[in-house]
Amino acid sequence: MSAAAPAASPGALLEAVGLSKHFGGVLAVDSVDLELRAGETLGVIGPNGAGKSTLIGLLSGALKPTAGDVFVDGRRVTGLPPHRLARLGVARTYQIPQPFARMSVLDNLMLGRLYGAREGFLKARRECLEIIDRTGLAEFADVPAGSLGLLRLKRLELARAVALRPRILLLDEIGAGLVESELLELIELITVLRREVESVLIVEHVIDLIRACSDRVLVLDWGKKLIEGDPDEVLRDEKVTAVYLGTGTRQDLRRKAAGAAKRDAQPLVSVRGVAARYGTFKALHDVTFDVYPGEIVTLLGANGAGKTTTARVLSGMIPASAGEVRFRDERIDGRKPHEIVRLGIAHCMEGRRIFTDLSAEENLLLGGRTAPSAEERRRRLADVNELFPILHEKRNDSGGSLSGGQQQMLAIGRALMADPTFVIFDEISLGLAPIAVDALYEAIAALHERGVSMLLIEQNVERGLALADRAYVLEKGVVALSGAPAEIRSDPRLRALYVGEAKGDT
Amino acid sequence: MTPPSPSQALGGSLLAAAAVAAALVPSFAGDYVVGNLGFRMLEYAALAQAWNLLAGYGGLVALGSGAFIGIGMYGTAKLTLGAGFPLIPALLVGGALAALFALIVSPALFRLRGLYFVIATLVLAEALQIWMFNWNGLGGSDGLFMTNAAPSPSERYYLALAIVAATTLLLAIILRTRLGISLRAIRDNEDAAAQMGLWTFRTKLWAFMIMAFVMGVIGGLQADYLGKIEPGGAFSLQWTVDIVTIAIIGGMGTLWGPLVGSLFVIWLGERLANHPETHVAITGAILILVIRFAPYGIWGLLIRLKDEASGRRRRSRLA
Repeated sequence: MSAAAPAASPGALLEAVGLSKHFGGVLAVDSVDLELRAGETLGVIGPNGAGKSTLIGLLSGALKPTAGDVFVDGRRVTGLPPHRLARLGVARTYQIPQPFARMSVLDNLMLGRLYGAREGFLKARRECLEIIDRTGLAEFADVPAGSLGLLRLKRLELARAVALRPRILLLDEIGAGLVESELLELIELITVLRREVESVLIVEHVIDLIRACSDRVLVLDWGKKLIEGDPDEVLRDEKVTAVYLGTGTRQDLRRKAAGAAKRDAQPLVSVRGVAARYGTFKALHDVTFDVYPGEIVTLLGANGAGKTTTARVLSGMIPASAGEVRFRDERIDGRKPHEIVRLGIAHCMEGRRIFTDLSAEENLLLGGRTAPSAEERRRRLADVNELFPILHEKRNDSGGSLSGGQQQMLAIGRALMADPTFVIFDEISLGLAPIAVDALYEAIAALHERGVSMLLIEQNVERGLALADRAYVLEKGVVALSGAPAEIRSDPRLRALYVGEAKGDT
Repeated sequence: MTPPSPSQALGGSLLAAAAVAAALVPSFAGDYVVGNLGFRMLEYAALAQAWNLLAGYGGLVALGSGAFIGIGMYGTAKLTLGAGFPLIPALLVGGALAALFALIVSPALFRLRGLYFVIATLVLAEALQIWMFNWNGLGGSDGLFMTNAAPSPSERYYLALAIVAATTLLLAIILRTRLGISLRAIRDNEDAAAQMGLWTFRTKLWAFMIMAFVMGVIGGLQADYLGKIEPGGAFSLQWTVDIVTIAIIGGMGTLWGPLVGSLFVIWLGERLANHPETHVAITGAILILVIRFAPYGIWGLLIRLKDEASGRRRRSRLA
């Protein structure tokens, strides 16, 4: 760094100069210069591990930079605690919603209005109710935030940030985990709320959201600024395509062995009229489908359609309240999860659920507990390492220190250590950059060639259909549509069910 | 899951009724029930209520109650003995000293989160006790004798009742104001609370000092009742154990829990006074059952039963 103190440039509402952040030996953000002008929306994109969330943390005061400075309205705010920055008008949302779970939605917002915006109690209450109304949460004002579903939690994140009456809004992956119709809803909401703040910075994987909302786009890669400029130009740029979207292995991914499934044989997994409930809430009403040996079956559906619940019933995590599940013609509903694993069914859960304090290899070995001998366990470990060489390379690193994509590989590897004949993959692409998802799907194709049957649960329709032999679409706990990928893709009902009616012309 | 609570109006009138009922006890009960059993129930109700503010609503589990109670004891004793203070001002100053101590240790304590905070508060009380044993300025291990006239059983009963009522009222008010919202926000997610503009340190400090003050006042009252104080009892870990037991069994994070808990736990102790081992075993078993099956304690259970009963009534009326 130069000896002269860096100065804020005029016209920038939020500015970062030479901002860097180390975590141990890892340089998460590497001398980034960034300028958020008054009145503009800046999109920040980049692959997983590019340092996007770290950047939000640095700008909001949650993290202290190793080097560099942050200015708000020309005033140096480097190292100020988060509450001071909030009072200067910097609000953020969290990638994974962090609600005050046991407080009502209204009280969640009240905090920001009372402390961030320094408003009196009664006025704050009135204004918070207005914000709740505008963000479509009116009927949930008195409901504990912890009981909301993902889409509503994302809305709450936005509402809570706006309750601060901020000048600058930092949005961290607000679109992650949402299906397209929900995204459109969210884009609309952002457009409405946009008028209440001076400037917005959006960190996002969902390109549609970036394209719809931002005036300028900045691309981060390995903690460095790669390029910055007009959204269309940036997204067309070849460097960006290479770094962010991957080099297009999508075509190679189409399986060579398509149609190899033995459909005439007995189904490997047979689900008949299954229902399931959480307390009084009935998540599944009547789900029926089969998976034949050697098949890849994809389960599609919007958030809350019952995909994850179906997976949980299959692996015995929750009981079926009606219907039956058979594996190799043997009733398995009602069995305990560990018994089901021993039968050869592995469940790669949504949200990775890796053991963050254990090393990568320890994570894998724990997944191999069912192996009959140490020798067999080592063989399985070698198999997994062959599939994901990076896991071998990082075998002594703690699970928590791996990047998002590597963590997902670890979760998959751990499921494979049980040497399953049938694997359930629940939302493995969630929150990952396209290039990381490509790598995962390559591994899944390779796995399939080894003869493993699987159930893929995906929110991304194209990803889910690319590999599938057959697909089922769930809607509100029942199978609404089923068939071969080509039929599903061209079925007009799919758009109505899944993509939402709002999207007119694409 | 939100804590169970009857509707606000009902809750308020119930609390008032309970206070009136408690105030009538000395008119028919004997000296032992008033000046000893009832007095202890009220003392512990106040202590558990104060602890409830920090742990039940703020999620900060402090195990150093003995430090604040002990400071209140010694402060009150020294003021009434040496400086000739009347009892009530001495109690208030004793409480203030405990709160001051909380203020002094807070910068160090609030750097720590979760279990580290818990352990630090525990160590704090233990360290203070050891220091008091070895420092002769306040009587060392012999402690102090109180020579002033002790209040009558009904006097100290009413004093303790006033402290319980004031503490409960204060909590009820706090919970409806911004301090209550910020405390609960810190309990649910301290980092997110800071990002909303809340200076979490100050919120935690307020709750911590209020707790310390109430504990100090009760400590002073207890000193006056005992007539003799020494470090072993004043700064004892037993205070914390009893307070935590009462708050959990009664129901943490509810306004009624500590009151109900104190009534029940002290009554149980009285019934089993001649069988100390059985008492400990039974209390332990109840504690385990409550933690496992009734996260909001006896009070939460009562509310659940009432809700289910009224739900059944409603359903049968509809049918």
